[in-house]
Amino acid sequence: MSDASHPPRLTSASVLRLKREGGLAHFPGLARPRRLDCARCSESQRAELQRLLELVAESCRGDAEPAGADRRWLQLSVEDDSGCEIWKLCAVEESVPVALLEWWRRADSE
Amino acid sequence: MTRFAIARPQAFLPPYLLERIAGSASPRLRDRARRTLHEDAHFRARAAALTLPAGSAERGRSARYVHDARHLRTLPGELVRSEGDADSGDPAVDEAYHGLGDTYRLFWEVFQRHSLDDRGMPLMATVHYGQDYENAFWDGRQMVFGDGDGELFNRFTIAVDIVAHELAHGVIEHEAALVYAYQAGALNESLADVFGSLAKQYRDRQSAEEADWLIGAGLFTDRVAGHALRSMAEPGTAYDDPLLGRDPQPGHMNDFVETQDDHGGVHINSGIPNRAYHHAAVSLGGYAWESVGPVWYDTLIDPRLASDCEFIAFAELTIDNASRRFGSSSREVAAVHEAWRGVGVLP
Repeated sequence: MSDASHPPRLTSASVLRLKREGGLAHFPGLARPRRLDCARCSESQRAELQRLLELVAESCRGDAEPAGADRRWLQLSVEDDSGCEIWKLCAVEESVPVALLEWWRRADSE
Repeated sequence: MTRFAIARPQAFLPPYLLERIAGSASPRLRDRARRTLHEDAHFRARAAALTLPAGSAERGRSARYVHDARHLRTLPGELVRSEGDADSGDPAVDEAYHGLGDTYRLFWEVFQRHSLDDRGMPLMATVHYGQDYENAFWDGRQMVFGDGDGELFNRFTIAVDIVAHELAHGVIEHEAALVYAYQAGALNESLADVFGSLAKQYRDRQSAEEADWLIGAGLFTDRVAGHALRSMAEPGTAYDDPLLGRDPQPGHMNDFVETQDDHGGVHINSGIPNRAYHHAAVSLGGYAWESVGPVWYDTLIDPRLASDCEFIAFAELTIDNASRRFGSSSREVAAVHEAWRGVGVLP
């Protein structure tokens, strides 16, 4: 498993899972994990995803658990071509670039 | 005046949205992307130290500050309404302002509590947070409200019990500081609902029989099959919608949900103590702020309430506090005891 602060290099066989959790209420329909198959992304989209993962990992580095209640979180994980989870990160939504949240909106529900 | 300095995480400008702006035929998407670019340009500035404004030195008088994030994620945003200012004409600004006032009045007039910390801490809120942001939260120093996406959710200031719920999280943090996970987290959430619904009932002078016992009525758009985020009277019945799913709240320990999701089910299992509170309030009748509300408040500020408290210990503390306030053989003690039995927390 890669260090959370260093996302692995995405390949065309990688699968990125995104799960949004928390908030003022728990909505089972919105909390289902979503999936992005890198095989269905263009090279530039994959490069963009790579960059966004690096940004979110960078923005979370060394952060203590934020105070408060009802915050939302984005749980991210990457699987390799054998389906093994090789990286995982849970980021408070405020630390997640809006562009990555847009990917979550468009990703397929599982 | 209290001052804090809080470090903020950074985020950066993603380039793919630039491409998408050029390629998108949707004005809505173009507008969203444009705001995103603008926001991320500002996001770097968020690392600056944040400070709280002046609180209120006069007990019984609140110090409210409502800010406008102008659809960015920068907090607190621009100050648009302060204590004593007239209505702004912006519904979100004015609902936040009045919601904070209604909640302050509940805590002051019923419990003689002077704001979040009982020392006049400023009540700070930000509205129009983010783009189509469908959430509200307490960040440890202020309340934050999104406008909703307009498709599933309306603006999050629309229900006074949501505003009060977020403010109550601040009170809880200053008192029991219940850990935000598993049963302690569910108690944290339940207490925020209890004082959220109580603020609405107190504002509208509603008895337990008259109250709707809903959290977030009016928040969903007409497209959602549901009437609120939660029902304290009947947990699990607030919504059943193809997109949102079905309200997952249990109302009895037999249906307690063991899960890692939602910080161990804090917004799920809170249905159980919510229902116990509702049972006690309805059983006693009349105004909940004169009966069971003070018992729950006494429990919240009770030094014996541990930050990792679980349901059984909390239930026993409420019975003890009912006994201290109303007498050991009072109907209040009997009603609270029976309420916890009714949801399976106590035998």
